[in-house]
Amino acid sequence: MTLELREVSKHYDGAGEAVAAVDRVSLTVAPGEFVALYGPSGSGKTTLLMLAAAIMTPDAGSVLFDGLEVSSLTASESARYRRERTGVVFQSFHLTGASALENAAVKLLALGMTLGEAQNAARPWLERVGLGERIEHTPAQMSMGERQRVAIARALANDPDLLLADEPTGNLDSKRSREILELLAEICRERQVPVLLVTHDPQATSFVDRVYTLRDGKLTEGLALDLHASIAQ
Amino acid sequence: MRVLPNPTLFGMRVSVLFGLYRRRLRDHTVTELLAGGGIAIGVALVFGVLVANGSIIGSVREDVRAVGGSADLELVARSPATFSARLADRIASLPGVERSASLLREYGVIVGPRGSERVQFVGLDPGLITLGGFATKNLGSGELLLARGVGLPSQLASAIGAETRRMVTLVVNGSSSRVRVRAVLNSGTIGPLASVPLVAALLPYAQAIAGTPGQVNQVLIKPRAGSERQVTAELRALAGNTLDVGPADNEVRLAETAAVPVNRSTSLFVAIAAMVGFLLALNAMLLTIPERRRAIADMRIQGFDVKQVLAIVVFQALVLGIVASCVGVVAGDLLARTLFHEVPSYLATAFPVTGNQTVHAGTVLVAFGCGLLAALLVSLSPIFDLRSDRPVDAVFHETGEPGQTLTHRTTVRAAALGAILIVLVSVCVLLDAALTVFGGVVLALAALCFIPLLFQATCRALKGFARRWHGGMVAVAAIEINGTATRSVALAGVAALAVYGVVAVGGARHDLLRGLDNAITEEWGSAPVWVTPDGNIFDADGFRVENPANPFAGAGTTVASVHIHQGGFLDLGTHRIWVRAVPANNSTMVLSSQLLKGDLASATARMREGGWATVSSGLAEEHHLHTGGRLLLPTPSGIAPLRVAAITTNTGWPSGTISVNTRDYSRYWLSTTPTAISLSLRPGVTPAAGRDLVKGLLKSQPSLRVQTSQERIAEVESSVRQGLRTLSEISTLLLVVAALALATALSTAIYQRRARLSSLKAQGFDRGQLWRCLLLESAIVLGIGCLDGVVMGVYAHALGDRYLRLDVGFPAPFSVGGAQVVLTLLLMLGIALAIIALPGYSAAGVSARASFQE
Repeated sequence: MTLELREVSKHYDGAGEAVAAVDRVSLTVAPGEFVALYGPSGSGKTTLLMLAAAIMTPDAGSVLFDGLEVSSLTASESARYRRERTGVVFQSFHLTGASALENAAVKLLALGMTLGEAQNAARPWLERVGLGERIEHTPAQMSMGERQRVAIARALANDPDLLLADEPTGNLDSKRSREILELLAEICRERQVPVLLVTHDPQATSFVDRVYTLRDGKLTEGLALDLHASIAQ
Repeated sequence: MRVLPNPTLFGMRVSVLFGLYRRRLRDHTVTELLAGGGIAIGVALVFGVLVANGSIIGSVREDVRAVGGSADLELVARSPATFSARLADRIASLPGVERSASLLREYGVIVGPRGSERVQFVGLDPGLITLGGFATKNLGSGELLLARGVGLPSQLASAIGAETRRMVTLVVNGSSSRVRVRAVLNSGTIGPLASVPLVAALLPYAQAIAGTPGQVNQVLIKPRAGSERQVTAELRALAGNTLDVGPADNEVRLAETAAVPVNRSTSLFVAIAAMVGFLLALNAMLLTIPERRRAIADMRIQGFDVKQVLAIVVFQALVLGIVASCVGVVAGDLLARTLFHEVPSYLATAFPVTGNQTVHAGTVLVAFGCGLLAALLVSLSPIFDLRSDRPVDAVFHETGEPGQTLTHRTTVRAAALGAILIVLVSVCVLLDAALTVFGGVVLALAALCFIPLLFQATCRALKGFARRWHGGMVAVAAIEINGTATRSVALAGVAALAVYGVVAVGGARHDLLRGLDNAITEEWGSAPVWVTPDGNIFDADGFRVENPANPFAGAGTTVASVHIHQGGFLDLGTHRIWVRAVPANNSTMVLSSQLLKGDLASATARMREGGWATVSSGLAEEHHLHTGGRLLLPTPSGIAPLRVAAITTNTGWPSGTISVNTRDYSRYWLSTTPTAISLSLRPGVTPAAGRDLVKGLLKSQPSLRVQTSQERIAEVESSVRQGLRTLSEISTLLLVVAALALATALSTAIYQRRARLSSLKAQGFDRGQLWRCLLLESAIVLGIGCLDGVVMGVYAHALGDRYLRLDVGFPAPFSVGGAQVVLTLLLMLGIALAIIALPGYSAAGVSARASFQE
């Protein structure tokens, strides 16, 4: 179950001219591989992530996951792809005021499970992310790190084949960021799922298998030196 | 150069405050409009109902002042009697009397080219002009203007198609006269009376038309300064036992008493409308709170101090409140002029009630104050972020929507408060039924208190259902509304209040109509054919029948028997009571459906025997009367000693009703004038055939109405329904406005949750699932409110019926109108959900991209 981007391009209309957010990018993330994608703001990182999640379709090239042509799915097929095969972690958590267990289980209700089944499926993941004792707590009663853990448990609740994380440490302090990155790396190894991480966090390099830099829509392997210096500051 | 002063508020220049608010309006147009709209709706409802309410009595007050001017006292005959105008001359010559004028007032019907109207026919003494009333001061001596003819107010003239110098027919006391219209009087000449259905004539001419030469029935008196007591005593001596002396504006007090039940019911609506408006505004502001809090945090980070932030918040609330209240007052004025303009016909039968709208400064201030208070209260909640122990940027570190969590403790405390309020109301109302309207307002508050508990219980029940059964979107909906608990509770509160008001007042109105229908059917169903004068449902206008010896002589093979009914209004203290005189051989001497205390058979027998009367419960309670007790009634012949045969309902007349037999009536009221004639038919004659025959016999008297009992019943029921139509219109308006406002608020709330919906999309929810979820959320919120409103409304309805029965004496047997409740719920849910469906579908189509921070 490999994520493959082949010569993918995506342009936006900006001030009368097309801006290449992603320009002929090819990238492969293998099962159990943790890949980080760095880049300055507006470089197209999140666009790449949304292409992988079938939220956007590329202007050229193709996105494949486990042999499935993700880039040619209809709206309902792409929704099904996301709810059945992917897990997404957001920078701003997107949790409601409900309990941690209900927040983690909500996605499974779209799969047609009963609430009981969904909660039973989500509970082990909350335990896995270290919140087994706090499943009835609401996000308001939790720290920022704990909230992101709930969001990770929610992303994992459907036992996804692909994990996509958009700046998951963007709202966390250094210590909490490290914990979250560690958790994502562990899950990647345990579940043998490909994980694509979009981040600005310099600590991520210590946890991932490969690092890429996206600049002006072009993807290069490794962390660009100037970018390294700026994020290190 | 002169420097213009630049006013400041808490150190902030007002010009800067205006600039900031302009920016806010530009950036958040929709939410500001929604907030302002909520406040405006509340203000409009409050103002419209207050004006409509006040105008009923206000128009009587205006009319009394317009005629009476500076008069302080009156001497009046007890209807239908008159007294000699020579008594008026004696009054004028009393040393303490500065000015006086006598009048003759009779009710009648005027017939013009375009229709007929029931009118008050007033004979004016030129001395009236000296009293300086607005209606008479421009009439000059009146001699030229009204000589040998009548004057018609412009509205009446227009309604019947009458013109100056043309002839119209005037029917007074059952006699028709052709009279010439000498003048059409507009508001410039007679002020507010221009819209009153009256016909004015000079006294001698009026006396001739009414068939009462040399008679008057009212003298208005202005005593000299300091002589009031002496004049009152002298008047009492002249009045003896047959006339009444009272303040010149006694009519206003009598009208106020008659209007009390309707006024109290509409007062309940005023309070509910105010609460609905406040909640709508609160909802609108709740939608803006997250953004307002972030704006405040931004300001503080930029260096604004607490006072300056307060100045900005208060200023913006004041501007919003003032503008929204102005819009509300204008909209309310429109409501009062159009939808709430109905004049209750039952009041118009006994008082000069018109559709004139009277707006007092106090009414404007109350409505305006409500709007400002709502704007201030709901705007100030973000200032809790200004607490010194709270970090300036705390709002940026919160998850979900701040302030949307309802703790279990809050829920339990609110429910406990609700339960206490219910117990308190129940006890108070049991002790004193007059407290029912106040209790209704408190019950509305109690209804709000139960919503958090109902909300929690419903969410728990729905989750319990979804835990076992496949109801994925039900569970998502329950989870999602938990995340916006405060807002959802406030929205459910609006639904609850609107449904509560409609069920409570609508239910009581329904029961009242049912009770009145019973009375009407029994009263008018006692004979197959009826002859009545045009226009009075209370059977209180007398008429004459030509060939009085035997008007139905030619109908011997058709008509089996003829029964003369009599009646009229009698002023007793602050009550204008309806006296109903029934012929002794009538089968409905005592209306069995209206009997509250006493035995039907013995009461009927006593009434037939004479010297006995039935009394409505309100009067009986006020005068401490009981079955078998003595009743001393002031009548035109003096005090009539009667005994109480039974206690009944008021049979529809709020000030109270007394029934006697026609022999007693003729004896004590010195009148044999019929107010209705019932005819029983020979076997085999249908009511329609009997009606047609009698119509033929009475064709020379077009002002008399000949109807079958079914036709009469339908006409009276329709008039009674018309009298209560304003209540029905207010309740429908409240429901529709609440549903529309809720739909708008829910739609906006859905629109504001685009980011959350987008994140659900990114997690794999498709458009159809999200749409179903949004509709379910709305249905749950509305359903909770409606359920709460129905339960509390039914309880308030039961208390309302009790009040109508015990305090006012109306026939109002309690019953839950299931169909009406279901219709109310369907209307509320249907309107709201139908409106939400479209924006819901649009919001469900949000792109998953919005959940990412690109």
